[in-house]
Amino acid sequence: MPYQQMDDKSDVDSQKPEKMFTLKKWNAVAMWSWDVECDTCAICRVQVMDACLRCQAESKTDNYGKQECVVVWGECNHSFHYCCMSLWVKQNNRCPLCQQEWSIQRMGK
Amino acid sequence: MSLKPRQVDFNAVWGSLQETVKSVITLGHVPRQIWSDRFSDVYSLCVAHPESMADRLYAETKQYLIDHVALLLIKVQEDGEDNLIKNYYHYWSQYSRGLFYLHLLYWYLNQQHIRMQKPSDAEMIYGSSDANAGEQLEIKELALEVWKNGMITPLGEKLVKLLLETIDKDRSEHTTLIPIEAIQGTITSFVEVQRFKIKGKLKLYQDLFEEPFLDASGEHFKRDAARLLEERDVSLYMEKVITKVDEELARARKFLHASSLTKVSQRCEQHMVAEHLDFLYSECMNMVQGERKRDLSNMYSLLKSLPNALNILVDTVLDHSKCQGLESIGTLQGDNIHVNFVENLLEVYQKYRQQIQEVFSGDQNFMGALDKACSSVINHRPNKGKTPCRSPELLAKYCDTLLKKSSKGISEAEVDEKLRKSITIFKYIDDKDVFQKFYARMLAKRLIHQQTQSMDAEEAMINRLKQACGYEFTSKLHRMFTDMSVSADLNNKFNAFLKDDSIDLGVNFCIYILQAGAWPFGQAIVTPFSLPQQLVKSVQMFETFYYNRFNGRKLTWLHHLCQAELRLGYLKKPYVVTVQTFQMAILLLFETADSLVCKEIRETLLLNADQFQRHAISLVDSKLLLCDSEELTPEAVLRLNMEYTNKRTRFRITAAIQRESPQEVEHTINSVEEDRKLYLQAAIVRIMKSRKVLKHNALIQEVCAQSKVSFAPSIPMIKKCIEALIDRHYMERTQHSSEEYSYIA
Ligand SMILES: [Zn+2]
Ligand SMILES: [Zn+2]
Ligand SMILES: [Zn+2]
Repeated sequence: MPYQQMDDKSDVDSQKPEKMFTLKKWNAVAMWSWDVECDTCAICRVQVMDACLRCQAESKTDNYGKQECVVVWGECNHSFHYCCMSLWVKQNNRCPLCQQEWSIQRMGK
Repeated sequence: MSLKPRQVDFNAVWGSLQETVKSVITLGHVPRQIWSDRFSDVYSLCVAHPESMADRLYAETKQYLIDHVALLLIKVQEDGEDNLIKNYYHYWSQYSRGLFYLHLLYWYLNQQHIRMQKPSDAEMIYGSSDANAGEQLEIKELALEVWKNGMITPLGEKLVKLLLETIDKDRSEHTTLIPIEAIQGTITSFVEVQRFKIKGKLKLYQDLFEEPFLDASGEHFKRDAARLLEERDVSLYMEKVITKVDEELARARKFLHASSLTKVSQRCEQHMVAEHLDFLYSECMNMVQGERKRDLSNMYSLLKSLPNALNILVDTVLDHSKCQGLESIGTLQGDNIHVNFVENLLEVYQKYRQQIQEVFSGDQNFMGALDKACSSVINHRPNKGKTPCRSPELLAKYCDTLLKKSSKGISEAEVDEKLRKSITIFKYIDDKDVFQKFYARMLAKRLIHQQTQSMDAEEAMINRLKQACGYEFTSKLHRMFTDMSVSADLNNKFNAFLKDDSIDLGVNFCIYILQAGAWPFGQAIVTPFSLPQQLVKSVQMFETFYYNRFNGRKLTWLHHLCQAELRLGYLKKPYVVTVQTFQMAILLLFETADSLVCKEIRETLLLNADQFQRHAISLVDSKLLLCDSEELTPEAVLRLNMEYTNKRTRFRITAAIQRESPQEVEHTINSVEEDRKLYLQAAIVRIMKSRKVLKHNALIQEVCAQSKVSFAPSIPMIKKCIEALIDRHYMERTQHSSEEYSYIA
């Protein structure tokens, strides 16, 4: 577990606190999401944080929450599910949002 | 003896053979030598030269038997009616045994002569061979036929009249003057006499005896019912009828052929139960409400075999158990509503379930009624449906209470047992997805605030839900667990990174990284906050570390979920206090100021009014801070309590953590609708992918069937989802029909 249970009490007794408040420990919580302009994939209309519609339809193969369905950014900075985009470009090699020629800028990891 | 065909003098041979036939049919003594001589006589007549005398032998034997039975008919009647049954039975036993020996004596005739001309079985069944009067029968069959014509035809009606009188006497006096075996033997002789028939073996018995018997019995049952009804007591009546049916069945077993048993009990039930249903139903409600088990069990056993007769009883049980269920949860108040809700309902459920097993032999009609009752109680919406159903939330809270560390004084096995039972309630919930939302939110809090009692218990519960609803239902819950272990790994790697670069954060830092979407916290609940200087380095270093490892991700800090341990050095004794980040931030401001105005604090920390109120109040309530007024108005002044003492050197300010933020509840409820749409779309894509082409109605049906495990979808919502998928080219209408779709790969 990332959290330590409360330490032994030696630190309370022995050390002499010179300050009014000493910050001993901070248990932080943060949420990660894809750094995208729009939360929703314009192709399947599912949140990019969730797996795309086709992947969700096959949820039985998706084992224990491992997100295999990542996000892809184009040079135009628009982003989609990688699954959705790879099907899209077979039909039309342009970004569905801005019609620029599609080329991959980066992939989510 | 010679086997060679030769000339035979029929009259001479028949003369001696006839003597032996007489002895055999009357069970007289036949010496061995005589028997074998006569046996070969039959043979020699059959193979006689130049012509077989078998037909003549057959005709003479038949005539002999006819004469013999005519003689017996006189003997049977000799002693008058009182002895008729006894005599009949006496001669019947003799004759019916004798004819088998006779059959053996005529072995050759049967084997070589009669069987040869016998029609095949198929002809017997499809043709009309039975009607063929000229046909020869095997000797045993012939003898029975002769008995039927010569004895039963003239005497049958009189016998039956006497038999019915005797049985009636047995009913009223429980005794008969005639030996039981004579009565039983006489009755079964009507079956026995037909025993070699291929079709209609029971017809004689049924026409001659059974039908008059059932009619007479029916009259008797009617009279008996009328007599019993005079007492106007349903309980007593049922007891007596059950005894009566048992008695009649025992009597039927004693006297009748086995094929009559169900007819007897049916006749009895018809006249004593089916014709008096209204009388029985008049007490139904009282019996169910008074839980009169013996009466109910009697009523069940009387009604179960009558078509549809149970319905009223089943409905009464349904209504009653539903009322009991609603009553058990109707007036709940206080902090323990969720516990009382689940446990009271389970108690009612167990009680009726057991009653159904005990009283109604676990009959499916009643189990179905209990299911309906439970379902309508658990999904009940008060105020004529205006108030939303609270069951999903209460059940989730019940599970939360059990899975939390605080559930003291209760063993792990007990917790497990209670959770196992709670699934019973869960299965009846219609909006299982709403339950899932609440469950996820509470699970999230247990995990983040380390309030989980045992990971084994958590996992066991999730497996139960998965079993009930399938993988999809729990996949987000699984993702939460995955994040926990991924976070543990990240913390180790981050610490190694700090060590490598000799970086000191000045604080013992650790973090949970949650995947957005998998956790029930929306981005919307992230409120502005000015991070205290002491934490800035930790945040910066971790972000550097994290963004280096991952591509395209961004982190959002959920300060309202963070906790800190703070050592207080300004009091007589040093204390270590565990607080939430916002509480910590408020306290830290007092390092540089003796007193602060509420408004000032809020503005410095950028906290919204609600956040500030909740956290400042918890600090004032715990007496770490003192306030100069009752209310935390913007102008109120706060100062540190320099005289603060506590028996414990380590403690936690908990109040603010447990308060439920209204935004969270709202977020939970709003997300249900969105999730349902997505769920339905995924289901439609899944179905279309496997079926390729499907009619509209079939698709709707299958979507409903698949989503039933989670919620009951509305048809308009499914239609909207289909349209949305057509717009996005996942599927299209086929050329044949607008009511048919095909999948686009
Ligand atoms: Zn997509
Ligand atoms: Zn995908
Ligand atoms: Zn674009």
